[in-house]
Amino acid sequence: MAAAAGAAPPALLGLALPAALVVLWEALARAGVVPQGILPAPSLVAATWWDWALGARGMGLNPYLGTWAETVLFSARRVFTGFAAAIAIGVPLGIMIGWNRIVAGTVDPLIQSLRPIPITAWLPFAIAVFGIRDAGAVFLIGLGAFFPIVVNTTAGARDTPRNLIRAARMMGASERRLLLRVVLPNALPSIFTGMRLGLGIAWTAVIVAEIVAVKSGLGYVLWDAYYVGRMDVVIADMVSIGLAGFISDRVLVAIGHRVLHWKQFGAR
Amino acid sequence: MAAVDIEGVRKVFGGRAGEVEALAGIDMALAEGEFACILGPSGCGKSTLLNIIAGFEGLTAGAARVFGETVARPGPDRAVVFQEASLFPWLSVWDNVTFGPRMLGRPKQETEALARTFLGLVGLAGFERHLPDQLSGGMKQRVGIARCLILRPRVFLMDEPFGALDAQTRMQMQELLLHVWDETRGTVLFITHDIDEAIFLADTVYVMTARPGRIRSRITVDLPRPRSIEVLTDPRFNALRADILHQIREEASKATRAFEEEERRARG
Repeated sequence: MAAAAGAAPPALLGLALPAALVVLWEALARAGVVPQGILPAPSLVAATWWDWALGARGMGLNPYLGTWAETVLFSARRVFTGFAAAIAIGVPLGIMIGWNRIVAGTVDPLIQSLRPIPITAWLPFAIAVFGIRDAGAVFLIGLGAFFPIVVNTTAGARDTPRNLIRAARMMGASERRLLLRVVLPNALPSIFTGMRLGLGIAWTAVIVAEIVAVKSGLGYVLWDAYYVGRMDVVIADMVSIGLAGFISDRVLVAIGHRVLHWKQFGAR
Repeated sequence: MAAVDIEGVRKVFGGRAGEVEALAGIDMALAEGEFACILGPSGCGKSTLLNIIAGFEGLTAGAARVFGETVARPGPDRAVVFQEASLFPWLSVWDNVTFGPRMLGRPKQETEALARTFLGLVGLAGFERHLPDQLSGGMKQRVGIARCLILRPRVFLMDEPFGALDAQTRMQMQELLLHVWDETRGTVLFITHDIDEAIFLADTVYVMTARPGRIRSRITVDLPRPRSIEVLTDPRFNALRADILHQIREEASKATRAFEEEERRARG
């Protein structure tokens, strides 16, 4: 990214607009232009968040005191479980579809016909099959993350240069090793792209699932707080979801950079 | 017994636009330790012939044998140097060179000693930890040669390995290859469309016809070895060059005429 000559560093520049919006929002809230019940001031949201995160858990009137960390952990654990399952199934399957025409002919049409069904449309099915339990949420998350992972893995495997395959065979690689040592590493950049997309969908799916199908986590609190008119909690929850998604994506990107260190040396 | 024995090899590619005869009855035999070049206009099927010997492609009729064994699949007895080095971009130079022995389960100590020897021989000592993308085109190709040498193959198959290099580097690589060959004395089948390259390197030059490919002539290069750049100004070199150039010109214009004929027919 190229900054214009003499301009402030891009990081600071990028913070200016959100900061200005927060200040404007605060001013409008204090002036009484927007009702606090609908759009509470940022200062109130921050205070609520503070209590939610660090408050002493008590028997008082505020059921949110000190429960933020466990709420985030509930959601994060579901995302992690579903996402891990999606990788565990999506990557090997994608490699096989990309590599083997018979597998592709057998499995690919099924995947392509299920893929257009939005994750939200699976909700009744998930509840009917798994009930109001964690498994339903994990199923939805896993399913949502599975499709981008399997599709991108397939593309990456298919894309293996013919001469790399020939070179490996010429050097005595067995078919299994060819898949593990050549096709898989060649597909890794695509796999990481698919995993990033899948992780985004996983966070969407966990919120939807928790709103409807389970009684804990950020999605549950989000809807529950809305029901009792706690818009300050709703907004603090929304920011928490965004933060969790952002941090998990950064972690994934950092892992990707380490695994794909050979990629930074540009075009081949 | 010939090192490489090609008997009436015919290759027809079937396609939607009809069948294309790439090779029409090739006969040739390389003695053990012979350095042979196949020279021909582009599209004459010379790479197809190499791919058949390597086991990358099947043949339509005839037989391809290496030391008496009919070629069935790729293997480390027939090492291939590709035009675009085709190194694994995610592996270091060292790991690229030792890939074959590791696939073949050869003893680690022996492999490491050989890798050091051959990396030194191709002038890449000190570059073991580099990635392919950090190397120049000539250096990549030297890795490509080293990873073939370490296989200890019975035949080296080289498919226009220096075709993508600039003239200066190409000449350096030709000298390097002759040096390596003087040290190791393997049987080499080298594909090129560069007449000087063919005469400079080979004991025997096979000139191929335009498509469908046939062997038009077999020319023995009786220039003394070891050869250096000075040989390029030798009168015998020039005589060979003039003879081969004349043959190639005829084949090239035949190819052009055939192409024009096809175009005319296609347009009706």
